[in-house]
Amino acid sequence: MNFAMRLNIFLRSFFLQTGWNYMKYQNVGLTFVMLPFLKTLYENDKDALPSVLTRYLETFNTQPVMASFCFGALARKEEAVAHAKTLTAFKERVTEWSAVRKSLSITAASIGDRLFWGALKPLTLLLALFIWLSLGVNFFEGCANQTISAWAAFSAGAVAFFAFNAVAMFVKWKGIKISFLEDENACFGLTRFDWNKTIYRAKRLGLLAAVCMIVYGLYYYLKDFQEPNAHFYARAAIVLVFVCLSFVTRKLKIANMYLYLAAVVTLNIVCLF
Amino acid sequence: MTPEIFSLCALAAILELDTTYAVQLTFSRGIIAGPLLGLITGDLMAGVQIGVFTELIFADVNPLGGILPPSAAVCCAVTMALHALGVELYFAFFFGIIGAALFSTLEKFMRKNRFKWLVFWEQKITQKPNTVNRTVGFALASSFLMNFIYIFVFVWLIGQLTLALLPHLPLKAHDACKFAFMAVPWIGLATLIPAFRLKSR
Repeated sequence: MNFAMRLNIFLRSFFLQTGWNYMKYQNVGLTFVMLPFLKTLYENDKDALPSVLTRYLETFNTQPVMASFCFGALARKEEAVAHAKTLTAFKERVTEWSAVRKSLSITAASIGDRLFWGALKPLTLLLALFIWLSLGVNFFEGCANQTISAWAAFSAGAVAFFAFNAVAMFVKWKGIKISFLEDENACFGLTRFDWNKTIYRAKRLGLLAAVCMIVYGLYYYLKDFQEPNAHFYARAAIVLVFVCLSFVTRKLKIANMYLYLAAVVTLNIVCLF
Repeated sequence: MTPEIFSLCALAAILELDTTYAVQLTFSRGIIAGPLLGLITGDLMAGVQIGVFTELIFADVNPLGGILPPSAAVCCAVTMALHALGVELYFAFFFGIIGAALFSTLEKFMRKNRFKWLVFWEQKITQKPNTVNRTVGFALASSFLMNFIYIFVFVWLIGQLTLALLPHLPLKAHDACKFAFMAVPWIGLATLIPAFRLKSR
């Protein structure tokens, strides 16, 4: 796979999830991403392309960033299918191709979900919150009396954006190359990185940052009240009740937004009567 | 409906595409979409606050497998549009959350029913491989249109409703909504601690 083809797959991979559906998930996206490679591979055998595309239009679902490992591995396996000399070899290689598509998509999704959605996204959120607080943006309180410069408004979001995408783009770009060069024994390059260690470290850092953020938030809350009054205690009690409730609702697998909606309704009823 | 609200809905519809269908560079995250939408309404601080609150309240739902989290871009757009129409931020955010939850339901319905036209496109793709480019273009355009129509109609309907109801609401209702609104960052931050547990996904 040359640089131009790799770049083409990389750029097309941004549309992997277009046409996402509950029947075959990312099948249209996978076909869209792999089409330039397939057209080059089957340049001299254009009649084979429809049956090849039928395979790519089967069910496919993985994490969008880690999908790059699937693209390289499937391209490598497709080359083996295209160069099969006998019908038996062809059938065997097609079966191998299907097995790789299924197993690698599941493995990549498992790693990607834990790394990008489970660790990196909340970690970059906390990073942005720290930056805003250090710039004096107190989002814990009402914003009616606060003004903010455009620089301060966008700087934290921009840092979070670049931090998340630096990792995501690196994995995406490298993943295509590594998975194309490595074979099954190296799990198509997935074993090159110590994913578990990276996730472990990111989650530990996230935990520390989350605790620091809560302490920082408490400091912001307390510093505005010189002498605690009824309003101070009432608000503290309400917040504490809903934070405790959020732990219970988490156990019951009820999303936080429903807790917030319930809080609005309950507090309105309490206030009105 | 002012041109400002119209352009806000259009930008939100584009940003929403980033959630799933195109690019996925996290432009649709609350902390990025909020300030961007705040730039259109001219209230950057409200944009930042709503962006942060949206991210924190939705921090416990991740797009794992087929799970569809509520859209942060739609929540920010509805809240900012209602705020620009004159609705207080703590009321607007309540409707923003409802708007995002309803959008998620609509999106699920669309994803379930998309395979009906997908069968047709699959046949076309196998006959003419380049049709996949048109399929992707069509899917993006239809998603953008659906996003825009939904956000615009929701903002218009809720905007009319809240502007008619707000003068009649007692002062205590404002206090109740304010208290609930101020609890949002704490609920969100409390969620992040178990989210970073090693056993959690």
